[in-house]
Amino acid sequence: MWSYVLRRLGQALLVLLVAFTATFFLLHYLPGDAVIARYGSPQLGLSSAEVAEIRASMGADQPVWTQFWLALTGFLTGNLGYSAQTGASVSSMLTTALPETAALTLTSFLLAVVLAFTIAFTSTFGRFAWLRRVMRALPPLFISIPVFWLAIVLIQIFSFQLGLVPVIGASDLQALVLPSLAISVPIAAPLAQILVSSIDEVRSQPFVSVVRAKGASTNWLLWRNVLGNALLPALTIAGLLFGELIAGAVVTETIFGRSGIGRMTEQAVANRDMPVLQAIVVLSAATFVLINLIVDLLYPVLDPRLRKKVRV
Amino acid sequence: MNAGRIVIWGTPSQRKGCRPASQSFDEPVLVIPLNIITQDANAHTQMAVSMPVLHIASQSFWVERMNQYVHRMSPSHLRLGVPVLAASLALVACGGNADTEGEPESGGTLTYLEHQPYDTLYPPAAGFYPNGAVINNIADRLLWQDPETLELHPWIATDLPEVNDDATEFTFTIRDDVTYSDGTELTAENVVKNFDLYGQGDSDRTLSVSEAINNYDYGEVIDETTVRFHFTEPAPGFAQAASTINSGLLSDETLDHTQEDFGPGNATTIIGSGPFVVAEEELGTEYTLEAREDYDWAPEEHDHQGPAQIDAVQVIVTPEDSVRIGSLVSGQADVARQIEAQDEEQLENSGASIEAYGTKSVNNGFNFRIGHPILEDLETRQAIIHAVDREAVLENLFTDSYPLATSPLASDALGYSDQSEHYEYDPDRAIELLEEAGWEEGPDGIRERDGERLQLTVNEAHPQPRSAELVTVVAQQLREVGIELELLSGDRAQQNEEAQDPELVQIFHSMVGRADYDVIKSQYHSENRNVLLNGYDEDVTDPELESLLEDIASLPNEADRVVASEQAQQYLAENAYVLPFFEEPQVYGVQPHVLGFETESVARPSFYGVSLDD
Repeated sequence: MWSYVLRRLGQALLVLLVAFTATFFLLHYLPGDAVIARYGSPQLGLSSAEVAEIRASMGADQPVWTQFWLALTGFLTGNLGYSAQTGASVSSMLTTALPETAALTLTSFLLAVVLAFTIAFTSTFGRFAWLRRVMRALPPLFISIPVFWLAIVLIQIFSFQLGLVPVIGASDLQALVLPSLAISVPIAAPLAQILVSSIDEVRSQPFVSVVRAKGASTNWLLWRNVLGNALLPALTIAGLLFGELIAGAVVTETIFGRSGIGRMTEQAVANRDMPVLQAIVVLSAATFVLINLIVDLLYPVLDPRLRKKVRV
Repeated sequence: MNAGRIVIWGTPSQRKGCRPASQSFDEPVLVIPLNIITQDANAHTQMAVSMPVLHIASQSFWVERMNQYVHRMSPSHLRLGVPVLAASLALVACGGNADTEGEPESGGTLTYLEHQPYDTLYPPAAGFYPNGAVINNIADRLLWQDPETLELHPWIATDLPEVNDDATEFTFTIRDDVTYSDGTELTAENVVKNFDLYGQGDSDRTLSVSEAINNYDYGEVIDETTVRFHFTEPAPGFAQAASTINSGLLSDETLDHTQEDFGPGNATTIIGSGPFVVAEEELGTEYTLEAREDYDWAPEEHDHQGPAQIDAVQVIVTPEDSVRIGSLVSGQADVARQIEAQDEEQLENSGASIEAYGTKSVNNGFNFRIGHPILEDLETRQAIIHAVDREAVLENLFTDSYPLATSPLASDALGYSDQSEHYEYDPDRAIELLEEAGWEEGPDGIRERDGERLQLTVNEAHPQPRSAELVTVVAQQLREVGIELELLSGDRAQQNEEAQDPELVQIFHSMVGRADYDVIKSQYHSENRNVLLNGYDEDVTDPELESLLEDIASLPNEADRVVASEQAQQYLAENAYVLPFFEEPQVYGVQPHVLGFETESVARPSFYGVSLDD
């Protein structure tokens, strides 16, 4: 067990290093850099000689390998550097932004899970055939709704037309309602789809007929027999959906004017802010790896048949 | 949600009417202790009594529903229903229109929507409008420029400066009763310290020189209330420069800040002597400007004196256009900046007013890279100008807030002279000129000369309104006469970089804002923005333009500067170096209950004179 975890953590470090290096060189070889994005702006009116001077003073004119080495050793020693756009320290930016995004993504994910389970149960065990059909049609519909569109529509209807939730001057709780709803819809869709198909699959297996023949009710069947077996594929998808959550955060945080990692990403991309982008990529990669590690460790907990394999 | 209470939130504009203005922003409008409701046998009545209050603040449909619901409930139902009820009440109460507000009050909080977060509060870099919105309201200047007449008036200086004959020495007498918001005094030493930093910059801290200050040598304290600034060359634009936000006066401690200290997250540490102080900041999303009670040194010429009339300004960043417009339309905000031309109609229909403030500077336009082989000859440049129907462009994409340009400079800029005869739409003349220049029609309709296609690339001016759309419309018009115009793709960093290379970008779309004669030099001189890339390849292509521009920035006599500016505009127009489109405004959406909203000379918002009427 522990050797498995250690091996996975080793792999994770390798993934992080590769992500870091790839981001660094990709950003480095794009035309333009953070210095030109900021100081080359026509609104500042600096001459190209002055911009070159600033670049030299920021060390941005050094050879690429020197810069890479400095950035890498900085990361390894916990110094994430300073934003090229604003001069703020990246670690302090992250600590301000993280809780906001954590709250948003967590609420969205929980909402998505609730939504997915509702769709899955009604579409498989629902009482009416028409309801089951409608519910089955929902995931393909949901998955094709773009987050930005949904977010704008939600704001228009619930805030501007009905006046139910303010967008400007909202409390923390109010500010979570619409954005998490917007993110949760496209996340819920694949989750629901997988749940529906695995519930279908489990239900068609012979043991279900046996349990039913013994007189089990639908509820008993669902909770005791079907759900546990149907959860595994959904769990895998849930782990992979983290990327969607981050993408959703980028869009909704910008639309709703929330601060957070998503907003930071949008700004950093627009300004070619390398230190910030590096930190965000490494952070997202680390979270992604961690979440999938947790998912892998959960398999044997949910399914006794998998327990032996893990120990090998 | 507070446990044990029903809490009803309102929007800021609503709250203004419902509570004493001094209350902090996050407080609810109406708090009903739950124990009253759940323990009191007359619970229904309690709720019912509070309903009229809600009725005022929300949409009647929902209130009606709530009333019916409450009346049907028994006390035990009520207890169960409380969490649900509380949640829905909180939501219901959040609607409301501006016209439901209570009695007029002095004070109150203005909610101002900004398009982007500010990126630095170092005054010389405060030209970016989100930065300017902070600096213009927290920092005073030596002189005040009347935004209407563009005349200079005393502010922190008690009089206009004494200037020596060749404009290399400026002597100011300053007020002795001004304090910074941290309590320190604004002294002669402090004023010199300000200008030494802005005029010289500090490369160790990567703090740049102010673009507005040319040829600065050093500042000198003559006595407690007199300072003198020395220049290496004549600097007649300095008096105006001392009135811009780029010369906003900051406390000694603030001037020791590093680049990072001026960055986002530190707004509350930027100490000025202005009518407002940054009281709170949430990184990247909002900040609050609080009025200074003891502010008593407004420019004498300003209509309002003493402290600001409103208590605070809540500045909220709403990057998404539709959200900014919608918030204003639905009454959740009072003023919004950057109203796009296509949104003006919707706002006007909602009752808000559209206020467009000219930037009184170099117009939004195309600048030709005069050293490039295609654009070297006059005929080709003239042909491009005559092939563009600027009125059609404006009609398609813009509104009346965007006046047609009649010169490289805006008609309300200092030194303006009408050059519209050079910018007439005449496609036949354009074709003639192209043929004179040797451009023959190619197989696909695009002209060619010695095997070279008449193809040009223009950058997308990200900060300018509808730049990409404008280029698209112009490209269609140019295609009619056989010129191919392409839009440079790429993000801001890439555009800034590639715009410096005439092989990649032959036409540069831009504008610049500063209300002084110098502004035209800023835009076109090879040592400043150099938008024509005059001399990108070591030698200056057109030395005559250079010397005309230098005259504007160095002749000590104002009348001579006017003449020089006129000459430069005429030269730019006659030689077809630039194609100006419109006088670029800053467009604000303002709710009718906001009175006295104004801007400084190039349209950055001033909240000092604002009052809220209901």
